[in-house]
Amino acid sequence: MQTVYELARGPLVWVSALIFVCGITVRALQFLFVTSRKERAFCPARPADEAPPAAMGDEKKINMIVRFQNTLLGRNPVMAIVTVVFHSALFIAPLLALGHSLLIYESWGISLPRLPDRLIDVLTIILLACAFFFLMRRLVIPRVRSISGVQDYLVLFLTACPFLTGFFAYHQWFAYKTALTLHMLAGETMLIAIPFSKIGHLVFFFFVRGLMGGEYGFWRGNRTWSQ
Amino acid sequence: MPEHKRGPVDEGKIRELLGRKKGRMKLCLTACASCGLCAESCFLFMSHDKDPRYMPSYKMVHSLGRLYRKRGKVSRGQLEEMKELVFKNCALCGRCYCPFGIDIPNVIAFARAILRSQGIYGMYPHSVGGPEAERRDGDTPQGE
Repeated sequence: MQTVYELARGPLVWVSALIFVCGITVRALQFLFVTSRKERAFCPARPADEAPPAAMGDEKKINMIVRFQNTLLGRNPVMAIVTVVFHSALFIAPLLALGHSLLIYESWGISLPRLPDRLIDVLTIILLACAFFFLMRRLVIPRVRSISGVQDYLVLFLTACPFLTGFFAYHQWFAYKTALTLHMLAGETMLIAIPFSKIGHLVFFFFVRGLMGGEYGFWRGNRTWSQ
Repeated sequence: MPEHKRGPVDEGKIRELLGRKKGRMKLCLTACASCGLCAESCFLFMSHDKDPRYMPSYKMVHSLGRLYRKRGKVSRGQLEEMKELVFKNCALCGRCYCPFGIDIPNVIAFARAILRSQGIYGMYPHSVGGPEAERRDGDTPQGE
């Protein structure tokens, strides 16, 4: 066990970080290679005197309600909120946990901001509850179950595992050293899996929504899937 | 109207077509997180009692996704199953919304091209040789 612990705390950290960084870089470059720039259509601005009058009062409120109802938050509010909460906890908890900050400080002398342990605990429990929600959603709702494969369940397990084992390790439940080793191995496995599995949506989401032209884009929108 | 071919599947041709757009299509299929949020954006899904077979991601994964997973080694029966998904269950209207911005109609259109390369075409009810037209004309249905 000591050997596995030393391995997980030492070389495997570097290996997983290297694979993670190289992997997401390759995925980002792959995205740029398979898409191409598109010519932006020239749309002259409509003269001000030809524009329709701005909606006022009740009409404006109705327009806002209709527009909101066509968003993800309007159509699937529970899923939208759980997704945002889950992904926020996924980033905040590992980056701002006291234990991780201390390790980084002891290794490299870099002092990172940190959150109180109790808050990290709460975030972990919230994340695990969200992961359970995703699992139930995948098992119960027919349309989600119909497209779920082994990889989808495995990815969910891989994502929740570091947080579950970290919770056990912090509270020193079961064998502390074993829980700690499993926590490190689970985190490293997740990092390695990111470029090669569906967890890669970490990269795809920002690249596709940011760069692809479409009505739901939020940045440049000057690339297209067609060539 | 082209007739359905009944000969063996040309796996080489399928593999050649799959290879042409492999990078792009596999990226689309990998980016799909199987979230199911595209379902309610499809009018066919909403009007067919929320049948999962009309869900955009289902159509994509069980047609082109299946062809890539099997590396083109599919039987004619399996291609006929995909025919329904890509020709009947999808209108390529482009209304489908994907949180990741995957161009689902692009993927399904490519699947259609692969099926057409094997002589499998969409038979619409009222087209010549389709079931409605033949019932109207009193002929026995062919090719379905």
